[in-house]
Amino acid sequence: MSTSAAATLEWLFRPLSNDPGIDRKALAGLLTELARNVEPQLGAGPNGVRPVDPRLGQLRSLLFGSEIETLSRLSEVVEDPEQLAVAVGRVLPTAIARVSSDARLGEVLAPALEKATQSSIRNDPRTLLNILYPLIVPAMRKSVGETIDETFQSLNETLKHSLTWRGLRWRWEAWRTGTSFAEVVLKHTLVYQVEHVFLIHRHTGLLISHVAAEDAAGQDPQLVSSMLVAIQDFVRDSFSGAEHQGLDTVRLGELWLWSEPGPFATLVAVIRGNPPEGLHETLRDVLSRIHDERRHALESFDGDSSGFADVEASLRECVALGQRAPRSAERGFPWFVALAGLVLLALAGFGGLRWWQHERAWQAEQQLQEARQRIWDGYVAQLRAQPGIVVTEAGRRDGKFQLAGLRDPLAVDPQSLLRQAGIDPAGVASHWELYQGLEPEFVLKRLRASLDPPPTVTFALEGDHIVAQGSAPSTWIERSRTVGRMLPAGGPTLDLSRVSDVYEGAIGKLSAAIRSHAIHFNFNESLPAAGQDATLDQVATELGDLASLASTMRVRARVTLTGHSDDAGNGTFNLSLSLARAEAVRALLKKRGVDPDMLTVRGAGQFEPLEEASSEAARAANRRVTFKVGIEEQ
Amino acid sequence: MAAAVQKKICMLGGFSVGKTSLVKRFVASVFSETYLTTVGVKIDKKTVELSDRVVNLILWDLAGEDDISSLRMSYLRGAAGYVLVADGTRPSTLEVALSLRRRVEAEFGALPFVLLLNKNDLQEQWAIGDGEVENLRRDGWWVRSTSARTGEGVEDAFGALAERVAR
Repeated sequence: MSTSAAATLEWLFRPLSNDPGIDRKALAGLLTELARNVEPQLGAGPNGVRPVDPRLGQLRSLLFGSEIETLSRLSEVVEDPEQLAVAVGRVLPTAIARVSSDARLGEVLAPALEKATQSSIRNDPRTLLNILYPLIVPAMRKSVGETIDETFQSLNETLKHSLTWRGLRWRWEAWRTGTSFAEVVLKHTLVYQVEHVFLIHRHTGLLISHVAAEDAAGQDPQLVSSMLVAIQDFVRDSFSGAEHQGLDTVRLGELWLWSEPGPFATLVAVIRGNPPEGLHETLRDVLSRIHDERRHALESFDGDSSGFADVEASLRECVALGQRAPRSAERGFPWFVALAGLVLLALAGFGGLRWWQHERAWQAEQQLQEARQRIWDGYVAQLRAQPGIVVTEAGRRDGKFQLAGLRDPLAVDPQSLLRQAGIDPAGVASHWELYQGLEPEFVLKRLRASLDPPPTVTFALEGDHIVAQGSAPSTWIERSRTVGRMLPAGGPTLDLSRVSDVYEGAIGKLSAAIRSHAIHFNFNESLPAAGQDATLDQVATELGDLASLASTMRVRARVTLTGHSDDAGNGTFNLSLSLARAEAVRALLKKRGVDPDMLTVRGAGQFEPLEEASSEAARAANRRVTFKVGIEEQ
Repeated sequence: MAAAVQKKICMLGGFSVGKTSLVKRFVASVFSETYLTTVGVKIDKKTVELSDRVVNLILWDLAGEDDISSLRMSYLRGAAGYVLVADGTRPSTLEVALSLRRRVEAEFGALPFVLLLNKNDLQEQWAIGDGEVENLRRDGWWVRSTSARTGEGVEDAFGALAERVAR
């Protein structure tokens, strides 16, 4: 046991402060008595030793008194957890320090420490975060930075090579191998060669090992490595960078200097060309492997690099890294460019054709649209010109023509006009409100519809007047006058002054002519006298004219045939004779083509004489059939 | 000679004491002197063959400034030893050298070093008393007067330092 540990435990075993030491006299007496017990011939005293001799206990306490007390104190300490904890706590740091080189300590403590860490994180993660923050943040920053660099590099290369023959080949390769196109591009384009690798002792800046590519030129690596360290120091000092960060990358034209710092040694690679960002990772791996394998040697390096021959092999791996330039054969005639040019031309031509076609189609469509619009405009203009139609809205919405306005029921039907204009009614949405227009034409139309004028009446527009002309039955004339007075004020007026009563017209004349005739009879005869045929013929003709005229004027003509007799003879007989004479004329007229329905007969006897005289001449004049015309409206 | 032991040695001294001249004449130099004014340090190598081995002294020639506070102490990190250079014709440079040593010792502890009193070819201008040098030697200093021009003492100095740092 070492001195310090003994010192630590000393207090446990220190003698009692009031230890009286061993009573030698008593001990001598006891020993004598014990001897006598063993050898009785030595002489047994009056106080012989009994099987259970209390003196033995006394002896024990004499011999081991202090030890017994110490032991009881120890057991008291061991059994009381509080005291034991205090005791162990005093020696624990020393004990751990003693065995720290023993690997088992780490193994034993690891699970407990893991648990402790876990519970600490559970209680308050910030504690651990604060501890780790200075370590994590720079590492993260660096990692993120490199990732972004890699992404940019990848993106740049991808863009640069996406439209070349090689690019297409690589695309094929990417598809075939299932890797990303960017990776393939990087693989092929990043032409670089690691020319030198230096393993430099961090603390002294001395070169531990150096490997150069076969054809690489370079200065004394020992000097170079120190200079590199000096420059790193210089940058760090001059620009007050973070204390533990050095120069990552130095670039000089196409020469790169990549530095990967480790705890004891820094790996510096001199790279010519265009190295991929992923090379950092490779270098770091090599460095960390060297650290794993030669940690102690690196730590205690004092300038003697003879023991680092094996490290060279690792460095040689790095120097072997490189990406060959593509074969120069590809720099011949740019077939692909020519081909691509042709394809582009073809595409351009095709595109141009398509464009031209499209342009044509567009123009045609445009023209069609314009034509449609023109037709529509014409139609709308036509509608506006129509009496009884007021267009309030005309336009296009949602590809459909829209039309709205007021329309007199008597106005032209817009739909029919639509068809006339050659516009598809399905493409038009129209809405018409009905109204009555005061245009003379419409007033006239409405008058025609309501007055139902006979054909003998014609209407004409003279300014604001509607002028009726011709002849009509007086009842019609009267009715029309009433209607004319009820026309809306401000509108056209109805002028009936030029419509004559039909009786004053053709019917009147015919009636007068017919009335002027008389058919004469001989005495006591019911048939007309000789020579009356011409008159009958004349009357029949005039009655035919009257019938047709009445029919055209939509009136009914009624002709009454009245038979007369002279005053000779019996009155009753004369009455029947006169009726017979009227009947005879009627029959004769019927014979001459006159419609018998328009003829009525009546016998007047001797009571309506033409002449009152009773001379023979007067009597002959009174024996007659007269005609009377009556016009009835149908 | 890759297997040869390397040692980092710093060259320290005031302004214009001839450090660079010493290095330039006697060591393998690949870097231009402009490094001194730009980066503030120039690296050179001096190979010294000892009886049992070869030592490569990697010399860090630090830009000479009389104002020692401007010295980049970080350049001294990991040095196995150093060379203090003073101009024998200018006592003030010895003062600078002494204070440089104090500063290095304060920062990095005791390191092997040699003191070179340069320009000993200019004997008529020599301004440092022998007594002073003796005092230093008595304190255990390894002091040698050298001449970058004639080369006197330079090889000895590097050899002595190599011996001490490679021990």
